Amino acid sequence: MNCETAKQQLVLFVYGELSFDEEELMEQHLDGCAGCSAERARLESLQEVLSQGESEVPAGLLARCRRDLAVQVAAAHAAPRRSLSLAALWRDWVVNPPLWLRPVGAVAMLALGFFAARIVPGDSPALARMGVAQDPAPVFSRVRLVNPNDSGGVRVQYEEVRQREMSGALQDDHIRRLLLAAAVDQTDPGLRVESIDLLKQHCSDDEVRRALMNALRTDSNSGVRLKALEGLKPYARDPETRKVLAQVLLVDDNPGVRTQAIDMLVQNKEPEMAGVLQELLPNEQNGYVRSRIQKALNEMKASAGTF
Amino acid sequence: MHTGSSRIAGSTLGMDEAELIRAAQAGDHDAFERLVRQYDQNVLRLAMNLLRSPEDAYDIYQEAFLRVFRNINSFRFDCSFHTWLYRIVTNLCLDHLRKKKVRRTESAVVETPDGPMDRLDSVPEMRADGDPQRTLLSRELRGRISEALSGMTARERMVFEMRHYQGMRLRAIGDVLGTTEEAAKNCLFRATQKMRSALGDFV
Repeated sequence: MNCETAKQQLVLFVYGELSFDEEELMEQHLDGCAGCSAERARLESLQEVLSQGESEVPAGLLARCRRDLAVQVAAAHAAPRRSLSLAALWRDWVVNPPLWLRPVGAVAMLALGFFAARIVPGDSPALARMGVAQDPAPVFSRVRLVNPNDSGGVRVQYEEVRQREMSGALQDDHIRRLLLAAAVDQTDPGLRVESIDLLKQHCSDDEVRRALMNALRTDSNSGVRLKALEGLKPYARDPETRKVLAQVLLVDDNPGVRTQAIDMLVQNKEPEMAGVLQELLPNEQNGYVRSRIQKALNEMKASAGTF
Repeated sequence: MHTGSSRIAGSTLGMDEAELIRAAQAGDHDAFERLVRQYDQNVLRLAMNLLRSPEDAYDIYQEAFLRVFRNINSFRFDCSFHTWLYRIVTNLCLDHLRKKKVRRTESAVVETPDGPMDRLDSVPEMRADGDPQRTLLSRELRGRISEALSGMTARERMVFEMRHYQGMRLRAIGDVLGTTEEAAKNCLFRATQKMRSALGDFV
């Protein structure tokens, strides 16, 4: 190998991109050539200097990227759903579901039926009064054992659940219990949104209010949390509700939820809220939420900094 | 914060990458998130190094992973997921660099609510260890590196970043950029020459 070839290949050599044979030839050349060895040392020191000059990712940028991506992904996923009315959803997906969805629908009904069966006793007089069929055909949820016998038959052990249907006014205790159960059904965010939407009309009920606060604090779906917030609006002065709103303001990853929580907390312009907002402002990454905090502070005639 | 997501997270824990991809294709958001987290630090670092601006790196991150989310069903396993993702990221960065070239006059100084600020000042001095002399040195060094990077073609810059800072092999870089290993070698060679002349007195 001559010096010209060596200089051409030294970059690849220091990056470990030469083949085994090429590397061997290079090593041999470097052993006998002070000029190329010095060049190699310079390239290696360049690599080291470059590593020191790598631009660091600013603290908090990765977390902000992840948080905002999750919001965008949820929005991208929820977008088509929003344009449909509840009636159309019911008609197209429940009453007359497309063929491919029917097995999925059956499983969903099983899940709901299973839940309902645990809440409403099978011999409930309420069911009889509402004209609910007392003994619909059983459906199996899981086969536990399959045991062929000598005579060519088979013994199957299975668990069964029953589908039930109930109609009634929202004030009805059974209906409310079913809605409260559906509001925490982890498998279906759509079901949770609709249930919270119905329940929020009865926020004066302590149990309903607690369910809304719980959804606001812990539900993984921002649509559900926004519905719960709407329901809690009339209770913006209730200390327990305010406590949950403050928590949401600090930890919720959805800017829409945080914005609404701010609006609810400042609507009565209590002076102590100015301090909370001043603390929040420097840490708030979302531009829109920041501007909302600033607007609220202006309205309260407070400055943006804590000094 | 949410009990729901942590519960589901457990179910994707033992999955390998192919299983995560299939689950994400079937609409499992948690699997998608785990997939993102395998690569997103490097993607952000690559974008940050290439574009030298946290705001631009943020934009690339969001756009790249949203594209992955929207197109995950078109991923057919005919290349590695890493290659597929990096094709998306590097194409976005190339577009960005080309656009930036058009408005090259743009200053490194940005207006902020606290007054004008140099973009490079937003980069933390992680390696400076509080030593003012080193801080000054590393700031000057980053300035020179930025200068050298802006003197490279977009492709040279891309190859250099992926080889030097991401530790990718030139063959894999060729795959990502839709070119040969030989062309990637040439890019690396030219990029290193430019870097060397820019950093002359540091080396």
